[in-house]
Amino acid sequence: MNNLLEQFLSEGRDFLQGIGEKLMQLEDEPNSTPLMTELFRFVHTLKGNSGLFEFPEMTRVLHASEDLMDAVRNGRVGYSQDLADQLLDAMDFVGMLMDEIEATGEISKNHAVPAAEHAQVLRSLLVVSESNADSNSDLHTSSEIKSEVNSLLAELPIFELEESVAEELYLHALEGETAFWVEYKPESDCFFKGEDPLFLMRQVPDTLWRHIILNNTAPILAEMDVYSNQLVFQLLTTAPSEELDDLFRYVPDEIKRIEIPALAFVRPTGNQDDHAIDIDFIDNALALLNKNNISVLTQIINTMLELSAPELWSSSVLRWVLRLLEHEPDNKTAQHALLKSLQTLTAPDWSAPAEHVERSDSKEVEHATTSVNVRKTEEDDELLQNFYVVVNAQREILSLSHKSGFSWTAGRLKSIASTLMGCYRAVNRECNIDNVLERALAENSPTPLLTWLEESLANNEQDVEIEVETDFSEISTSSESTPNALISDHKDAHENVVHNEAKTARRVDEVSTVVPKTLKVDQDKIDRLMNLIGEMVVAKNALPYLANRAETVFGVRDLSREIKAQYAVINRVAEEMQDTIMQVRMMPVSFIFQRFPRMVRDISRKLGKEVELVLEGESTEADKNIVEALSDPLIHIVRNSLDHGLEQPDVRLAAGKNATGKLTIRATQESDRVLIEIMDDGKGIDPKIIKHKAYEKGLIDETTLERISDQDAINLIFAAGFSTVEVISDLSGRGVGMDVVRSAVEKVNGTVGIESQVGKGTRIHLSLPLSMAVTNVIIIESNKQIFGVPMDMVVETVRVPRSQIRTIKHKQTTVLRGRVVPLLSLNQLLARGVEQLPNEDDEFATLIVRVHGEHIGILVDEFRETVDIILKPMAGILGGLSSYSGAALLGDGSVLMVLNPRELI
Amino acid sequence: MAIEYKKSVATFSEFISVEEAEALLEWLLKNPKGKVNFAECTHIHASSLQVLMALKPTIVAEPKDADLAVWLKVALAD
Repeated sequence: MNNLLEQFLSEGRDFLQGIGEKLMQLEDEPNSTPLMTELFRFVHTLKGNSGLFEFPEMTRVLHASEDLMDAVRNGRVGYSQDLADQLLDAMDFVGMLMDEIEATGEISKNHAVPAAEHAQVLRSLLVVSESNADSNSDLHTSSEIKSEVNSLLAELPIFELEESVAEELYLHALEGETAFWVEYKPESDCFFKGEDPLFLMRQVPDTLWRHIILNNTAPILAEMDVYSNQLVFQLLTTAPSEELDDLFRYVPDEIKRIEIPALAFVRPTGNQDDHAIDIDFIDNALALLNKNNISVLTQIINTMLELSAPELWSSSVLRWVLRLLEHEPDNKTAQHALLKSLQTLTAPDWSAPAEHVERSDSKEVEHATTSVNVRKTEEDDELLQNFYVVVNAQREILSLSHKSGFSWTAGRLKSIASTLMGCYRAVNRECNIDNVLERALAENSPTPLLTWLEESLANNEQDVEIEVETDFSEISTSSESTPNALISDHKDAHENVVHNEAKTARRVDEVSTVVPKTLKVDQDKIDRLMNLIGEMVVAKNALPYLANRAETVFGVRDLSREIKAQYAVINRVAEEMQDTIMQVRMMPVSFIFQRFPRMVRDISRKLGKEVELVLEGESTEADKNIVEALSDPLIHIVRNSLDHGLEQPDVRLAAGKNATGKLTIRATQESDRVLIEIMDDGKGIDPKIIKHKAYEKGLIDETTLERISDQDAINLIFAAGFSTVEVISDLSGRGVGMDVVRSAVEKVNGTVGIESQVGKGTRIHLSLPLSMAVTNVIIIESNKQIFGVPMDMVVETVRVPRSQIRTIKHKQTTVLRGRVVPLLSLNQLLARGVEQLPNEDDEFATLIVRVHGEHIGILVDEFRETVDIILKPMAGILGGLSSYSGAALLGDGSVLMVLNPRELI
Repeated sequence: MAIEYKKSVATFSEFISVEEAEALLEWLLKNPKGKVNFAECTHIHASSLQVLMALKPTIVAEPKDADLAVWLKVALAD
C-alpha cells in the first residue's frame, strides 16, 4: 500500500467520523448553516480524495452524498431523519469499503451493485425534493427517467445489420444468448475527468453495430465548445453482461443498456422502392398462414423468392418469414405481422404493444396510398388554419386597443398591418390594406383596420370560421399562460445563476481550507521515539555510577564532580523530552466519546427507548494506549446501560420519571489518573436478583448468599461468566460480561467500580493511569534479588514485628490500625522456600498492597528506593508469566523484574 | 504534434489526445476545404472526434487501424 493511500484511509476515517458527528448535531439543530456547510465540506473533500484512487464504487456513493449535501446546504432539499439515516448508511458503507481497501488493497467487484444502490437511494432523495421544489429542469425527475426508459423500450434502438449477421443474432437470441444495445451518454464535462468516451466504447468487445450522434448545441461552429462532450454513442454487442458491467463501472449512470429480444433482429433490409410483391400474393399467404398450411406457404414463398431479386426489401421480408416459420413456428402474430409488412412496406414494430402496431400500420397505409394531390390539400388546410390563427390574433389585438389612443398605437397598427399582409400573401389572397392603414394612422385608431379585417373575414366561408373560433379560444388560453411561462423561464434562469453561485462557492470552500497546523505522524514513529528516549533515560542513569567509579576506583574527584554536573544537564533535557513525548502521545478521550452519539442513537432506536446522551469532559487527555484500551470496555458499559439500565418510555413514565432516559459519560482528571463515569437514571441493579443469579450459576455458595452485602452483590456482576439477562440480545448478554470490562481495564492498571440504586440508576466508574509509559516502582529485595512493585498498588510500607504476626487457619495475619491484614511471604509466593529476613529489631519489611479493594501485606527482606522506569512487557516465553508485569533496565544496566501483585496473590 | 497541419491536409498520427481538439477546430474553420488523413492514426480522442463530426472534412485516407476505421466511418457518414 502506498503512502498516499495510507494517508487517504487514515484521513478518510476521520472524515467519516466527522460526518457522523455532524449529522448527529444536525439532528438537534437541523437549520444550522455552519454545520451544514462543514458537513458538505467533509463529504466533498472525502469524495475528492477518493477520486485519486481507483475506487469508483466509493467515489460514486460519495458523489451522490455530496450532491445531496449540496442540495441540503442550499436549502433545495430539507434535512430529515430519513435523509440522515441514508447518509449514515452510505457512510457506513464507505467505511466498510475502506476496511476492505486496508485489508486487501482493493475493492471487490461485488460492491458495485450495493454502491449503485446507495447512490440511487441518495439521488432519489435528491430527486424527490427537487421535483417538489419544482426547480432545475435538467435534473431528471424519477418519472421522467422512467418514461425515458419506457420510450427507449417502445422504439427499440435503431440499428442496421446485414441480414446474415442479424440472422445469426436472431438464432443466438432464440437460444438465450442475448445481445445488448448500449447507449453511452457521457457527461458534458467528462473530458475534464480524463475520460475518453470513444476509447471506452472501443473497448467493448464483439461490437456488431455502432453509431455516434453529435448533439452540437452551438449555433455557430466557431463557438463549438470542443471540451464539452456532445457525443452520444450507441452500439450493439454480444459481449457478456458482466464484461459490460466491468467496462462501464465508472460511468454506470451514463449507460443505458437494453437486452435485445430475438424478434428485434427480424428487420427486413434492402431496396424498398420496387414494390415487387402483388396484393394477391400477400392475401394468399395470409390466408395460408391463417389456415396453418405451412408447407404450401413455404412453397409459395420460395417460389416468390426465386422470382424476385434477392436484394429487394420484399425478398428480405420473405426470407425472414421463412426463418420465423422454421424457428418460431408458433409465433403466428410475428409471422402475420411480417407478411402484413409487405403491404405496408414498413418493418413490423416488435416491441410496441399490439394495438400500437395496428395504429401505426393504418397510418402508414394511409400515407402509402394517399395521392400527391391529397397531401397538397392537407398542407393547404394546415396553412389556412395557421393563417386564421394569426389573423384572429391580430383582430384580438386590434379590438384590445380599440378604446385607447395612446402614442404607441401607430407603431402597433403598422406592425399589425404588415403581419396581415404577410399572412394574406402566404395564402395567395389579395390584400389591399395600405389605404386602410393610412386611414387608421390618420385617425390614430384601430377601427378602420378592424372593420376591414371583419369584412375580409366575413367574405370567407362560414365553416372555416367555426373552426377558427375554436382554434382561437385555444390560442387565447395559451397566450394567457404565456406570462407564466415567461416567469418560469425567468425562474429557471435565476436558478441557474444560483446554481452557478453555488459552484463558485464550492471552489471558495476549497481554497479557504487553511493549512492545518497539526502533523499526522505514524504511531510507530512516536513509539520508536519514545523507546529511544526511554533508552536515553536509562543511559543517562548510568552517569552517576560512572561518577562514583571515577571517585572510588580511579580516585579522580574533580572528574567525578564534572560528570555529575553534566549529568544534571542531561537529566533535565531527558526529563523534558520524556514529558514532551508523553504530551505527544496524549489524546483526548473525545476520540472514543465521539462514537457514542451514533451508537446511542442507533441502539436506542432499535430498542424503542428515548435516550439523552450527555458527554462531559471530552477534552480530558490520556495516553493513546489508555484511551484505546478504554474504548471496548466503554462501549460494553454503554450498551449494558442502554439495554438493561434504561427502561422503555412507558415504564419510565409509570415510575414517575421523565420519558427520556439520561445517560451521562463524564471524564475527569484527578492527579495522575483519568476518571470515567458512566451514569444512567435507569432501573438500577437489584442486588437480590444478582445474588440469586450468582448462586444459581454457582459463583457463590449458600452461606455467602446469606451474608453478602448489597454492594458486594452488585460487584458480582464483574465475576466471570455472569449475565443477568435470560434472552441473549444482539446488544448485550452474550456471556462476555462485565468481567471482560474489568480485565480490560486492569490490563492498563485501571480499576472499575459500580454503584447502583434500585429505581434510581447505576454509576460505573473507571479509573485509569494518565500514562503507561513511565511506571513508578518501589524496589524491594527478597532472597538477595531485587524486584519492582508498581507504586500505584502500594498503600504503605510498614515494619511488622514478629510478635505481631498471628497465625489464623495456618495463615499469617497481623492487625494494622485495627484492621486484619493477611500476610504473605514473597519468597513463598515465588516458591523460593527461604524464610524472609527480618531486620535487627526482628521486624519484617511489609509492603501493604491493594488488590481488588483489599489490603494484603507482602513480606519482603528489605525496601530500596523508588524509581521511574519504562516498563517493557516481556516477550516470548517469559510473556506467559503473568506474575510479572514486565521488566525494566536500571541505570547500572541491570534488569529489574516488576511484579504484578494482582496475579501473584 | 500528433496532428500535422499542412496547407490543405491535416495528417493524424497515432494517438490524438484531448489537447488536439481546439487546434483542429481552428484549422478546420480556417480551412473549410481542408482534408484529413487518418492513415497512421490509431485513436482519436472523443473531443477531436466531435470536431470532425461537426465539420465533416473530406477524408484523404482512412485509418489502417480497422477498428478505428469502422468507428470513423460511422461517425463521419452523412
